[in-house]
Amino acid sequence: MNLQTPSTVSPSIVLNDLCLGFRLGRNQEKILFEQINGKAYPGELVALIGANGRGKSTLLRCLCGLGAPLRGSLSLDQNDVAYVPSHTPRTRHFAVVDLLATACYHRSDWLGNIGTAEEEKIRQALEQVGLSGFEYRDTAELSDGEFQRVTLAAALVKGSSIIVLDEPTAFLDIANKMVITELLKNLAHQQQKTIVFSTHDLQPALKSCDRIWLMGYDGFYDKRGPEAPLDKLFQDFSISTFF
Amino acid sequence: MTHSNTNFKLPRNQNERPGRRRHAQGLLYGFLGLAIVGLFVLDLYSGTASISLKEVLVTLVGKGSGNALFENILFQFRLPRALTALLAGAALSLCGLQMQTLFRNPLADPYILGISSGSGLGVGVFLMGLSAWGLHSLPSWLTGATTILPAWAGAFLFTALILWASSRLKDNLSLLIFGVMLGSVGSAVISLLQYVSQAEALKNYVLWSMGSFSGTDLSQVGILAGLTLVGIVLSFSNTKNLNVLHLGEQYAISLGLSPKKMRRRILLAVAILAGSTTAFCGPIGFVGIAVPHIARILFRDADHRRLLPATLLTGCCVMLLADCIAQLPGSSGIIPINTVCALLGIPVILMIILKQPE
Repeated sequence: MNLQTPSTVSPSIVLNDLCLGFRLGRNQEKILFEQINGKAYPGELVALIGANGRGKSTLLRCLCGLGAPLRGSLSLDQNDVAYVPSHTPRTRHFAVVDLLATACYHRSDWLGNIGTAEEEKIRQALEQVGLSGFEYRDTAELSDGEFQRVTLAAALVKGSSIIVLDEPTAFLDIANKMVITELLKNLAHQQQKTIVFSTHDLQPALKSCDRIWLMGYDGFYDKRGPEAPLDKLFQDFSISTFF
Repeated sequence: MTHSNTNFKLPRNQNERPGRRRHAQGLLYGFLGLAIVGLFVLDLYSGTASISLKEVLVTLVGKGSGNALFENILFQFRLPRALTALLAGAALSLCGLQMQTLFRNPLADPYILGISSGSGLGVGVFLMGLSAWGLHSLPSWLTGATTILPAWAGAFLFTALILWASSRLKDNLSLLIFGVMLGSVGSAVISLLQYVSQAEALKNYVLWSMGSFSGTDLSQVGILAGLTLVGIVLSFSNTKNLNVLHLGEQYAISLGLSPKKMRRRILLAVAILAGSTTAFCGPIGFVGIAVPHIARILFRDADHRRLLPATLLTGCCVMLLADCIAQLPGSSGIIPINTVCALLGIPVILMIILKQPE
């Protein structure tokens, strides 16, 4: 684990007193979560943890500009965020390389054809997620773990310095949960990307993450490294869930 | 655990498979191109008057025997008919493909949003409504007009409604429901018109709804060709968007795209293609839904950069073939094009689908 707190680097994400929720009517609103204060730095893997319905997905959607917070501000470059939804539909006979070519949308010609530079980028992204040689495989025939890595590769091909993933390990077996979280850690550390992902898998998250954002029952915790709010996690997941 | 960040280089010969695939696809494009030429000539050859194949060919290149009757039949009837079939096949299959991708639904066809119902309503009001309201003799300025204008007006009206709804509805499913409902409203009004109309008008309407490529002359084919060409270019400009839609709307948004805009562009292309085809030929079923599936099975490729041209060519082939069969070679009758499509086409499709390895 990368233990030194980066003091010289400026944070890539700052959440400043965010209030999440949605408006029901003109003067009505339903608040999901208040007083969210947090930071994340380049090169950090951030796990967003919290029980169902606390607003994890809403927070992630705010990060990438898919939604807006009710109040508060967040500072990050929203054009520099790649978002990986929790579920990406699959299509038969759609090759991996063709899927990744769609991530180059703004750099391809009117038909979506890409140049050799982009092809090289796609090859590199596949190599980084451990799927070298999968270029021409049918995405519908990949395993869930492999397909999850392809969607991650799409985020890499997009080239953003912040990657936001909504429950990337939800449908995977325990081995693949470990593979994906380790992979995210390596990508964050080696390429100095800020990677934020929501998860319910505490074990892999605690093992690999540099920072934990906990949407606990009594507030938002932003803790780095060894200060992981274990006691809070424990309370949150074993006590508040059942009582 | 097999994940790796090792920098091992992919051996070049791993790319052999895509190379083979592209090669096979190239051959298929070539084959389809040749088939279109062959079927086009065959379509010119088939018809009630017997003209030899040789005569057809020499008349086409302008070195005919000077038989005015043959030239008349070829250029006034068969050439417009064959060209209309070609254009309709291309247009409807492209529409079907775009609708299937947009709604992520293999059952979607060009008419799923009610465009044919709109055309039918226009024609129904024109053919049956006038007689129902006691206008047995049409005004003189209308007698020259065919069903093309009312069909086009109806399709245009329904398309406008769909586009209006599309800008207000949030997701594709709501739009699908809106379109299907709109189509049902159109059908209900048509039923009402049928109920109250005279036998002659009713028969004319039923004949229109069976579809025909014979109602067009060369100048009308020119208009249809122009509209279809515009629609085809618009469809091809949707290639990138359609590929993105394979991955869902959230993915599209994450790329900084607006699903509403993408949807509007697809609807516009489909409306121009399906609307004009229906106006000139009536509602032609089956092709729009089946051809994209045939193209996918033939090309084993869901990327629209290859699938769009594949669908276009396959659509031309299928429609020309259906028109040849509709002429009942060797007999003096013709059967409605929709009947041919349904009777001969659907068993073929079912066979292909059942034989798919899974």
